[in-house]
Amino acid sequence: MHEKEEILLRVEHLCQYFKMGKSELKAVDDVSFDIKKGEVFGLVGESGCGKTTTGRSIIKLYDITSGNIYFKGIRTGAGRRSYQIAINKAKKEYEAKIASAKESEKAKLKSELEAFIAEQKKQIASAKFDQKKCDKEYSEKRVAAVKEKYLPQIEKADGAKKAELQKKYKAELVKAKRTRLTTQIQMIFQDPIASLDPRMTVREIIAEGLIIQGEKDQEVIDKKVYEMLDLVGLVREHAGRYPHEFSGGQRQRIGVARAIIMNPELIIADEPVSALDVSIQAQVINLLNELREKMGLTILFVAHDLSVVKYFSDRIGVMYFGKMVELTTSDELFEHPLHPYTKSLLSAIPLPDPEYEKKRKRISYVPLRDHDYSKEQPTMREVAPGHFVMCNQEEFDKYQKILKES
Amino acid sequence: MEKKLQVKNLTVSFRTTDGKVQAVRGINFDLNKGETLAIVGESGSGKSVTSKAILGILAGNSIIEGGEIIYDGKDLLKISEEEFHAIRGDKIAMIFQDPMSSLNPIVKIGRQLTEAMILKGKARQRESRKNFNNYIAMLEKRMIEANEPKSAERAAGISKKCKDFDTFERTHLKLENAYNVAYEAASDASSDLEELIFEISKNSVKDMNERVKRALGLAAESINDYVVKEDASKLTSLIEEAKQALSSSNMSQLEKKLSEIQDILKKALALTPPNFFALGYYLTFAKEPLPNLPTEKFNAVLRKYLDDHYMLDFIKDAKQALIYSADASYKEKEKVIELLKKYRSVFEKEHLDKKECLETCKLLSAEVDKSIDRMEITKDSIAYTFSAALKSEINKYFNGIENNAKEEKNFAKRQAKYQAMQAKGKETNGVPIPASIIDLDLVRTDMLRQIDRLTAHYEAKIAAKKERDYDAETIAVVDYLKANASGVVNKVTKRKAKNRAIKLMEEVGIPEARKRYNQYPFEFSGGMRQRIVIAIALAADPDILICDEPTTALDVTIQSQILELINRIKEKKQLSVIFITHDLGVVANMADRIAVMYAGKIVEYGTAADIFYESAHPYTWALLSSMPDLDTNEKLDAIPGTPPNMIYPPVGDAFAARNKYAMKIDFERQPPMFQISDSHYAATWLLHPDAPKVDRPKGITDRIARMKERGKQDA
Repeated sequence: MHEKEEILLRVEHLCQYFKMGKSELKAVDDVSFDIKKGEVFGLVGESGCGKTTTGRSIIKLYDITSGNIYFKGIRTGAGRRSYQIAINKAKKEYEAKIASAKESEKAKLKSELEAFIAEQKKQIASAKFDQKKCDKEYSEKRVAAVKEKYLPQIEKADGAKKAELQKKYKAELVKAKRTRLTTQIQMIFQDPIASLDPRMTVREIIAEGLIIQGEKDQEVIDKKVYEMLDLVGLVREHAGRYPHEFSGGQRQRIGVARAIIMNPELIIADEPVSALDVSIQAQVINLLNELREKMGLTILFVAHDLSVVKYFSDRIGVMYFGKMVELTTSDELFEHPLHPYTKSLLSAIPLPDPEYEKKRKRISYVPLRDHDYSKEQPTMREVAPGHFVMCNQEEFDKYQKILKES
Repeated sequence: MEKKLQVKNLTVSFRTTDGKVQAVRGINFDLNKGETLAIVGESGSGKSVTSKAILGILAGNSIIEGGEIIYDGKDLLKISEEEFHAIRGDKIAMIFQDPMSSLNPIVKIGRQLTEAMILKGKARQRESRKNFNNYIAMLEKRMIEANEPKSAERAAGISKKCKDFDTFERTHLKLENAYNVAYEAASDASSDLEELIFEISKNSVKDMNERVKRALGLAAESINDYVVKEDASKLTSLIEEAKQALSSSNMSQLEKKLSEIQDILKKALALTPPNFFALGYYLTFAKEPLPNLPTEKFNAVLRKYLDDHYMLDFIKDAKQALIYSADASYKEKEKVIELLKKYRSVFEKEHLDKKECLETCKLLSAEVDKSIDRMEITKDSIAYTFSAALKSEINKYFNGIENNAKEEKNFAKRQAKYQAMQAKGKETNGVPIPASIIDLDLVRTDMLRQIDRLTAHYEAKIAAKKERDYDAETIAVVDYLKANASGVVNKVTKRKAKNRAIKLMEEVGIPEARKRYNQYPFEFSGGMRQRIVIAIALAADPDILICDEPTTALDVTIQSQILELINRIKEKKQLSVIFITHDLGVVANMADRIAVMYAGKIVEYGTAADIFYESAHPYTWALLSSMPDLDTNEKLDAIPGTPPNMIYPPVGDAFAARNKYAMKIDFERQPPMFQISDSHYAATWLLHPDAPKVDRPKGITDRIARMKERGKQDA
């Protein structure tokens, strides 16, 4: 089990704001979590709460506003807003201090401020670099590894063998140069119809990633495509067809195949079953489960269907209006929900049991009524080992008491 | 229980370039008043096609091969588009699956909501005027005819009475409208104030100025002779003080003033309203001033005055007129029954004669028309639609005779050409489309059915002659006149429509409806959009609501809210709901009865408990076990494969190929509907007495056990 403890993805204070005219929309606001290797992390919440935005920020479809994203220990995403805010804050503070300070201390304070600003600016530069160039660093490493492997061999070899090796070396080098760290994160989209190009055959769709990465050998591509088709439960003959010739479940399988051909370590599944029929839903979930066992995938599973999330995930994070409000293992979440929003969410799940349904009463969540944050603002606190809840001290004590009693 | 809608043997196909797709293959169900029927199945099973057929919005390439959809005595498959306009949206409304594509993206929400109201409002006003005038004229005529002994003086008295009704009814409605506006303003203001006071005490109000001003404006509107009367001056001064407190942003003062205003409004809301109908008469005709009494006594006095001076006489005359008219029509009905029986043979022949048929139809229509009692408030729709239905069948039959041969010849020609091309190995463009041929035998049986149905209907009516309650009918007549008079006076202005739309928006749970009213659909989230679609569907006060996967695109919280909303409105308005979905959890919540559809057929049909606890069809089992619930840990039982291609529907049970319990007979013959209990039917050979006994899959039995366990714990 120690493999599970290795942290694959770490998200720290992720903020993603969108400009909306004059104001800003805080789609994701200060969200932090880790995903361990080999686990399925579920992200739930109502529509518009920022689940999808979180997923898309991780795969770098957006430039994040603030916060850090570490993938395999490398910073792949970094926002700059927090440093800018720190600079502005420091400026104001020092202005006040300087105004009230003695003449002799002014110079010292000023230099202190400048040093602080310089430090923050350095941070900004590094964040900018990481956001844009982390892939470059990674590919440089890969190139170096390829060179190290082939160059001594080429020197030793001679004649025909040398030429062959050189050819192979060049091909590998192109691939290494083009490899991006983020290709190890792949995404499965919600709508299988909209996410597949209707004018490309299934073969082209699945192989596109490989071709972009610089794979030129048609045989290798075909072999890999067939392998993937096999893995997701389609047959070779399907490779020549177009997406519209498939049913919904099969289309989603193509989406899965396209994601796993890059041999990713992390898959972000953005509501992969929401648009599907129940019977097909089951097919896709079973497929993801099999792949997870076969390939040791780590999955970030974004969905709003709680019964599916419960069935599929190891740990679940509940989001509400851009904030993570509760994070724990899936069993714990369903047995001891603490945050009132989680409770309201759980009370809304419909079950195939008419008797139960007649009695089920939905709990509504009204932040103003359920919390009193006039004295102290809430923060993320660990109520029990591995069980995080967004609360303030007063609520923290209350939650701990509840957990002890149960 | 009253049956609102009956679907009998409905069969629908679609013509496509590849051939005829049989989307719905002979389904039967009925819908009772105030009940929810859920139709469950995979996509492509024909659920949506069924609902679209009910609403008459099938695509252009559809062929309705047969069957009946009976609503309000009319067959919706036979009536003309013009007649459908009166039903679609008004009586039967639909909530579509995708809210984005069912809203107009370039028109503001407010306009989309009020559009139908204003259009219908104008039409209704015209119609009410017509109805009122026609009916009162008819009533007047019959009253005079029925009156014994006849005298010119008495006749003049009756005519005057009928005119008076119109006059004082107008006064009544003006008063009541004014009261309603004030009362609604008071109740809105009261709830707004409650919210505001709560938020002020929590110190977290948004858009305070605007909201306080609006609430105060509403409070001011509530001053009326019958709502806030005694406290009117106090209320006005309180509003002024509250406004001052707001402008000087004195919160504690504001809160105090607001709660005082709320107290006044609450008191006003608790009052019983006066009897406006009687009050209208009193104000129009009585010479004395209004008595100053508490409301109950005041009402009693007014009521007595109305009864003594007008109503009792009017009711007596009206009842007499009703009986007179009914007796006359019974005689005609008996005559019609004889005629129907006599002329039935015309349509029984092997080859029908066009001239003879049309002449008989004309004759019968005229007689049936005479036999209709026009004084009845609930229209006898079978009689009303008889002639149109019969004529359309006759036309269809003779059209068929003329066209069938041509179509077939044409098809054979194209088919031959196609095959010749194929044999030569040339490329062909598409497949020849089969000819659309009218089934003459079916049409003829339909004609006979029309005649038989009317005969049976009239016979039943005559048999029930003695049980008729004329007193109740007279009261219904008065109510009918009242309702139509209100339609005449109640003009739906833009402002009224707006107010109603905003109320509807609030009813479906859209916050800040006033602000939202002027936004475009893209500014709303998915759940909100769906709420607007629901509000539009409810704007016309429908009888039947068809929900085509209304929550599939929404998340759980919103889904649960929308379901609660539909349930609440259903109970309030006694709606009948057809709920189409593939999510069994949702079905368990909503449905009274469930029909499981597969490949265009209903495979299992029963109450919610039947389907969830006693399911008998393998397809239902598969659906139930392919869905994870909160306690599922084992691998899900996915249904292998995909539904069959309905261009070539399987010979036997359509589900056989994907069914692990399939027997040999499943591939050879279609199973009939086996009855399991009074309410529970299933079409599977497993229920045949000779079939081997098969247990339900373990996943389901376990789940049912778990459910029972939970039920016990809760109890």
